[in-house]
Amino acid sequence: MSGFYTGLKYTLARRFNYEARSAGLFLFPVMSVLAVVAVFPILYSLYTSFFNLKLTRPHRVPFVWFDNYVKVLSDELFWESVMRTVSFTVMSVVAILILALFIALLLNESFHGRRFISAMILIPWAIPTVANGLLWKWIYDSGYGALNGLLLQLGLIDKYVVWLGDPDKTIPLIANAFVWKEVPLAAILILVTMKSIPVDLYQAARVDGANLLQRFVHITLPSLKPGFMLVMIYETMMAIRHFDLFFLLTEGGPADASHVLSWQIYVETFRNLSFGTGSAMSYILALVTFALAYAIIKMLGRRI
Amino acid sequence: MAKYVSKLARREFLKVSAAVGALGSSGLINRAFAAGDTVNFMAWSAAVDLVKSHVAEFEKSIGIDVDYANAPWSNYRDNIITKFVGAAPLDMMWVSDAWLPEFADAGWIAPINKFDNLMKYNDEAEDFCNDSMTYKGMQYGLTYYTDFMAFLYDEDALKKAGIDAPPATWDEVTEQCLKIKSAGISEYPLMLALANESWLMNFLAAMVYSHGGRFTDEKGNAAMQSPTEGAVAALQWVVDAVHKHKIVSPACVETGELTGLKAFQSGNHAFALEPKYRMRPINDPKQSQIAGRCKQVLMPSSNGGAHNTVGWMRFHGMSSATAANQAHAERTAKLIEWFGGRANGAYKFQKYLFTDIGAGFGVKPLFNDKDVQASYNSYADVEMIKAQQALALKSDVVTPWYGEWQETNASSWQAAIVGKVSPQDAMTKAGDKWDNLKQEFS
Repeated sequence: MSGFYTGLKYTLARRFNYEARSAGLFLFPVMSVLAVVAVFPILYSLYTSFFNLKLTRPHRVPFVWFDNYVKVLSDELFWESVMRTVSFTVMSVVAILILALFIALLLNESFHGRRFISAMILIPWAIPTVANGLLWKWIYDSGYGALNGLLLQLGLIDKYVVWLGDPDKTIPLIANAFVWKEVPLAAILILVTMKSIPVDLYQAARVDGANLLQRFVHITLPSLKPGFMLVMIYETMMAIRHFDLFFLLTEGGPADASHVLSWQIYVETFRNLSFGTGSAMSYILALVTFALAYAIIKMLGRRI
Repeated sequence: MAKYVSKLARREFLKVSAAVGALGSSGLINRAFAAGDTVNFMAWSAAVDLVKSHVAEFEKSIGIDVDYANAPWSNYRDNIITKFVGAAPLDMMWVSDAWLPEFADAGWIAPINKFDNLMKYNDEAEDFCNDSMTYKGMQYGLTYYTDFMAFLYDEDALKKAGIDAPPATWDEVTEQCLKIKSAGISEYPLMLALANESWLMNFLAAMVYSHGGRFTDEKGNAAMQSPTEGAVAALQWVVDAVHKHKIVSPACVETGELTGLKAFQSGNHAFALEPKYRMRPINDPKQSQIAGRCKQVLMPSSNGGAHNTVGWMRFHGMSSATAANQAHAERTAKLIEWFGGRANGAYKFQKYLFTDIGAGFGVKPLFNDKDVQASYNSYADVEMIKAQQALALKSDVVTPWYGEWQETNASSWQAAIVGKVSPQDAMTKAGDKWDNLKQEFS
């Protein structure tokens, strides 16, 4: 037995130098924790997705191969949720990119009170997500909401408007609340990229007679591509997986108006307690998110 | 040597600490302490102090230890299911009638029929309470609390509009609402809270039953899509109230029960559907602007039909694991009796609950209690409550697939109310979902 350990010790010493062994030793505790709290649950949920596991039917849990995936992909409601998720994501990411760009341009200039404005702009980002959801719930409320009060006082409406209860307005309104929270971080990321553009480029362009718009189109925008890519990938992933606002503001309603993918996963898993189909849905969502991130990197990355 | 001993002791101490920490965090210590003769009692976090004091009284009078734990109502079902699945020690628990079929079919809770000390209370309980605790011919507990959906009105609003008597039919509700609206008293005279939350099914069932309809037939098949005997007429009435007569706010689909209650308390509406126990805060001057003006009338009927409403109840149940151990089951049955039956000869807990938080009771003798009568009559009409409670029907959708079906049903109702589909199509969709789930579960 001691021969085995000596052999193992010798093999390890030969394959890994002292630094590699030390690094492995230091990383081992955190890797063990990650294996227990992250890797195992992820793999276990993959395993679960092949069973018809419904918590309320504990005595009947058959292995069903890919039936859960087939069931999910052939469900009409699932595809409707996908379309709503796409619509929410496109709306949100486009708005975030545009607003973040304008804010970054503003903060890139030198003017009196710039630091104060920078701090103010960061406030929405610093507000906890649940507080943000409750804040917008009060703003949008049809009976006592601040939005109706403001519009009425400004004379823009003559009676209170139904906001979240109108299925045509639900997704844009939730997207608005999401954008409000996400724009500050996006603006900072774009600003950081903007600060890294060499000033020489602008000076040379001025010498060549380029006006403000030309300098923006030919220098600023192309140089911001890494920042845009980062923001686009991050915000797309955030929007696709977003759950909090849908839970707090509408619970998927009215009717199915805000029934997005993340909401469907929640309902399937935690309300219907169908862990098999819930896990299958989660894996589909994860694959779609990875595929999108990969597509964005391929699309924008080669132009950088 | 001393140094060696000290080092060893320190190491041992650290080892023991780590082991104790691990045990504590995994709940094993609690489990170990709560095992044996102790009765493990799980409830949602309502009237916590009251429950604690009643438990203490039980421990003192009967001499059996109780380990009481609670969880918020919002995640109680998930919490207790996880405990059942994980075989956590659990003897007595509060159960909603809506969960009975799935809990019983899963083999998590046990019938109490063999306990004569519990079954003797059936004669004094409301019939629909006994029905609601019965599944496949077996009874699963004793009542904890019961209530029904009530039709309430603001007496002053009706007087101002020149209306002498509250409505008796849904047609009269429409007429009176239009009168109140045209008099400028309220823009939306009827408050309906139809947001997709746990209360929604009770509002819908009250509307359907009072329209003489049912969601399912006697065999448990979907009947909701029937234009004459189902839920279509009730949904059509709501759709007309929102779009044609404009007497119910289109925001009703985003109005939860609590928000609706606040709006009614603020005097924004003349009529409201509310759980009966809400009459107490509505008529409380500290909480309401219409205090003293809120009255109850029988749920309007549909053209001379019965004034039915929906009733619901919660009960004290026993786990199957406990029932398998006769001695422990008998200890647990004593605790169930202490809470759901008579404690030292009186329905103490149900009376405490009523006088403390206004929660309704399912045992008829309490209606004759002078304290209860005095309390009820301070904010409501006890005879009206008795009459409406007698007309309360057990929900006909309580099945193992109820929760899953309700997701479709709720979105179907809302889709019709916001004008996306017709009431008939909405109920057909809900009915199809019901039949599919019934087939899947059978």
